[in-house]
Amino acid sequence: MLGTVTAPQQLRTGPGPGDAGTAAAVIRTDALTKRYPGEVTALAGLTVAIQPGITGLVGANGAGKSTLIKILLGLLPPTSGRAVVLGHDTAASGERIRALTGYMPEHDCLPPDVTGTEFVTHLGRMSGLPATAAKERAADALRHVGMYEERYRQVGTYSTGMKQRVKLAQALVGDPRLLLLDEPTIGLDPAGRRAMLELISRIGAEFGISIVVSSHLLGEIEQICDHLVVIDGGRLLRSDTMTSFTQVSQVLVVEVDEGTAALQAELAARGLAPRRSGRGLLVRIDGEQAYDTVRDAVADLGLPLNRLEQQRRRVEELFRDHSGEEERGDD
Amino acid sequence: MTTESGAAPAGTGVIHDLGYRHYDGPRLGRAAIIRALTWHSLRSAFGIGRGAKAKVVPILMFGLMCLPAVVNAIVVARTPGHARVVDYDTYVYRLRPLVMLIFVAAQAPELVSRDLRSHVLPLYLSRPMRRLDYPLAKFAAFTAACLLVIEIPLILLYLGTIVSAGGASAVWDQTRALFPGMLIGVAWAVLLAAIGLVLASLSGRRAYATGVIAIYLFLTWTLSSILVAIAEQGPVPVGAGPPLGARLGGLLSPFTVLDGVRQWLGGTSPGPIPPPGSVGALYGVMFLVLLAASLGGLAVRYRKVGAA
Repeated sequence: MLGTVTAPQQLRTGPGPGDAGTAAAVIRTDALTKRYPGEVTALAGLTVAIQPGITGLVGANGAGKSTLIKILLGLLPPTSGRAVVLGHDTAASGERIRALTGYMPEHDCLPPDVTGTEFVTHLGRMSGLPATAAKERAADALRHVGMYEERYRQVGTYSTGMKQRVKLAQALVGDPRLLLLDEPTIGLDPAGRRAMLELISRIGAEFGISIVVSSHLLGEIEQICDHLVVIDGGRLLRSDTMTSFTQVSQVLVVEVDEGTAALQAELAARGLAPRRSGRGLLVRIDGEQAYDTVRDAVADLGLPLNRLEQQRRRVEELFRDHSGEEERGDD
Repeated sequence: MTTESGAAPAGTGVIHDLGYRHYDGPRLGRAAIIRALTWHSLRSAFGIGRGAKAKVVPILMFGLMCLPAVVNAIVVARTPGHARVVDYDTYVYRLRPLVMLIFVAAQAPELVSRDLRSHVLPLYLSRPMRRLDYPLAKFAAFTAACLLVIEIPLILLYLGTIVSAGGASAVWDQTRALFPGMLIGVAWAVLLAAIGLVLASLSGRRAYATGVIAIYLFLTWTLSSILVAIAEQGPVPVGAGPPLGARLGGLLSPFTVLDGVRQWLGGTSPGPIPPPGSVGALYGVMFLVLLAASLGGLAVRYRKVGAA
């Protein structure tokens, strides 16, 4: 396989890291609130702007992710507030939005007794494609998700991973400008998850389609996202570029063959806060000088340096503890 | 990036070769999408595009329905007077309800229960159509399917008769007799399609949906027949016509309601229920009530399905 998926960030045309402008926002919500009968509040005044590129929509089960997606598709009316998708108001122009948007639901939604091609072709027609175009685009979409060989098999014979790919293909068939993917990796094994994430990453990077991908597992989608929107209890916890999420979380792993305790004391004395983790030390990087400090400390103590590398903390851990009580040094 | 881990299944390697092509061709509007769904559903009502097994019941029922028309053609050709032996307005009133009962019970779930079972509705709803477009297309499709099963035999009956009929006036007579029959056929198709779909939409399990439809149609039909028969057993004053009980008994079953409407509108062939006479309009009202209740139920059902 060619190495085209390794640098999606550079290939995308969206605003760069740190660009907080909302002018080109793909999705914008304003005090969006949804209360279901029985006093269940799914969304509580959610205000967020989602930029082009791949955006992770993260939150625990029941945080309001699916409700938000349904409102964005114009399928659910919000109790109050408003949402604008691709420049169209969800309350007034649901059809217009749905013509430009592909949706992959969380749950199983495939009839078992049709072939992949028949199914995706039919849904292509339902997206407004003429008969011939629907056939061509169905074949294309199935090829893009890696289901070209299996497209004439009945859906019922597909594995979970293949079914997820067909679900993605039906979202792609109408050549949308925006994809809303609700928990696309659910039920997949680790290899299947990686393949699905790679696929999503490629669609975002090479197809020029903006993607909102929801997940309750932060660590999973952080690898492919440019932006992250974290919601909890129907409220916005945080919305930022992936870069700024990881910037604050940079940690240096220092491993010496001996004298770990001495180094820890030395680093503490030099104003860093090292913590033991396995055989090494973890040092939070607060600035460029942290590298120099560590280098100098190791050199001054004359310790055999074994490993010095930047650890990319998982965003998941970032939310779990803001206090820095980190014990795991793997990855 | 950790995504480049070589974990992708074999076969995905070809993806890069072609690249993604955007679609810049025409996009059809909502009306065209509804038409496409209607056509798709009409085909599935006859098992077209499905396996051979799916075609058995619809083909069998259609064949059975055509049988009287074929027999009529033969009889008309062989008898000296060339008189038609089957009526246009009732067709064969013992056969038609039976065939339609089986056709509707077997095929209405094919149109709606399958989609409910496989939870495919969110995919339709996320397309550029409105919430009620789906049941609308299904209703149009199933009405058309029922029309084909009901009207094609009538047309065969007509053709089989006029082939042997001598003279333009005989053909004209047949044509004039055919149209009321076809009109009542439309009433049959519309009502049975609506009832079949609303009952089928209650369950995603085909067998269950089929059972509910069959039981409803069969029970009400039997009940109406029994009520009519009991009322007719009672003492009837000479020249008073059928007793009121017999004239009202048919209001229970969609089949007898349709026959009541036929007789109220002037159909004269003997049917499963006695002429309703002064209560004829009640049959018209009942027809509208059943139709409105079924379509309303269908709308209510699909207003909720697929929404969280």
